[in-house]
Amino acid sequence: MKCKAIALAVVILAGALSAQSKAGKYNPPRTPDGQPDLQGVWTNVTITPLERPANLAGKEFFTPAEARQYEKDTVDRNNADRRDGGAQADLNRAYNDAWYDRGTKVVETLRTSLVIDPPDGHVPRKAGAPAGPPVGFNRPPEGPEDRSLPERCILWPTAGPPMMPSFYNNNYQIVQGPGYVMILVEMIHDARIIPIDPRPHVDSKIREWLGDSRGHWEGNTLVVETTNFNDKTRFQRASENMKLVERFTRTAPDTVMYEFTVDDPSAFTRPWTAQIPMKRTDGPIIEYACNEGNYAMEGMLAGARADEKKAAGK
Amino acid sequence: MRNRLALGIAGLLMAAAPMWAHHAFAAEFDAQKPVKLKGTVVKVEFINPHSWIHIDVKDADGKVTRWMVEGGSPNALFRRGVNKDALPQGTEISVDGYQAKDGSNRANGRDITFADGKKLFVGGSNPDEQPNAK
Repeated sequence: MKCKAIALAVVILAGALSAQSKAGKYNPPRTPDGQPDLQGVWTNVTITPLERPANLAGKEFFTPAEARQYEKDTVDRNNADRRDGGAQADLNRAYNDAWYDRGTKVVETLRTSLVIDPPDGHVPRKAGAPAGPPVGFNRPPEGPEDRSLPERCILWPTAGPPMMPSFYNNNYQIVQGPGYVMILVEMIHDARIIPIDPRPHVDSKIREWLGDSRGHWEGNTLVVETTNFNDKTRFQRASENMKLVERFTRTAPDTVMYEFTVDDPSAFTRPWTAQIPMKRTDGPIIEYACNEGNYAMEGMLAGARADEKKAAGK
Repeated sequence: MRNRLALGIAGLLMAAAPMWAHHAFAAEFDAQKPVKLKGTVVKVEFINPHSWIHIDVKDADGKVTRWMVEGGSPNALFRRGVNKDALPQGTEISVDGYQAKDGSNRANGRDITFADGKKLFVGGSNPDEQPNAK
């Protein structure tokens, strides 16, 4: 009888521990200086959209069967050899899916949007907020400055901070040393070097492409606050005064749960938060070295001159 | 119901699908100049942001013209198993794409097909498998 009671207690305890682990009580390994270990190569690739599709309004999570169907439909569509829409559409669609690395799965939480707050899964954009940055498509480009930031190899709108999945290069390497965390972003090949100490942000007159990041630990969570963005990045049409808080929590051996909260009253009616699980993946991070091979810039400028000649009737 | 859901999602995503990869193709290539090229690989530059495949194209008179064909980021290609061994010198390929606006012998590689008919394109739809170009 006593044995049975003990066995039952063990079973209950085991169940409780398992439930606890699922609830995020995973105890991550430590770095030599005792910090939770986030190091490794991670990918945030997913087909889950930032915002909830209109026809899923009110539906925060897929059922597993719905998730499979959504994945199948999305992959089918991405792989479709589309010939509709005429030559211009065909050209704009660039090339087929073999060139991309867009992912095939929804996030493991089965959420229907990356935005988790507001609960409706939408970025709470403010009506009348200023439009995004000029991208140079409004006139034939005279030089590289008239083309967009990604085309100039300066910044990709999803490479961050905050870091979101895109068509390819969704890979990140986290390296920790005493007092610093470094995140190498494969897209555009940025290295974010984040001091982990209470030093204040740089002067407000100093504006940076990646902003000015400061980190600290809250339990097992790395919290990174970033300010001092410049006025050219305009993440989701935010201004240079955007304040970003990112949270990195190792929730399993193969998972860093990444959440970010964006606050900018000039662009949004309230702060909003997105969540993206980052999964361990094979390295290494591959160099991007975008400028070196950017024949496309020359090609686009040559294209603009050819258009001008054509318009002049030559 | 499920079909309606799927259709709705598809419609929305197609409307929202980004129309360019690293750069605006319409700025570089001419939709009025579709090209179909058949040639042999001279060299492949696996450089970011786009790989470039150089091919020699022989016309009916035996005249050889060299073309440069633009492809995707090598990072994505490597992860799909496409590396320097996939397109060795002398490989015969067919390219379906659009020529550069300035009339130079450059094209985007919309489709690239090997001599045995295999495409650098896979229409599979199993979410458990990353489409693989091999």
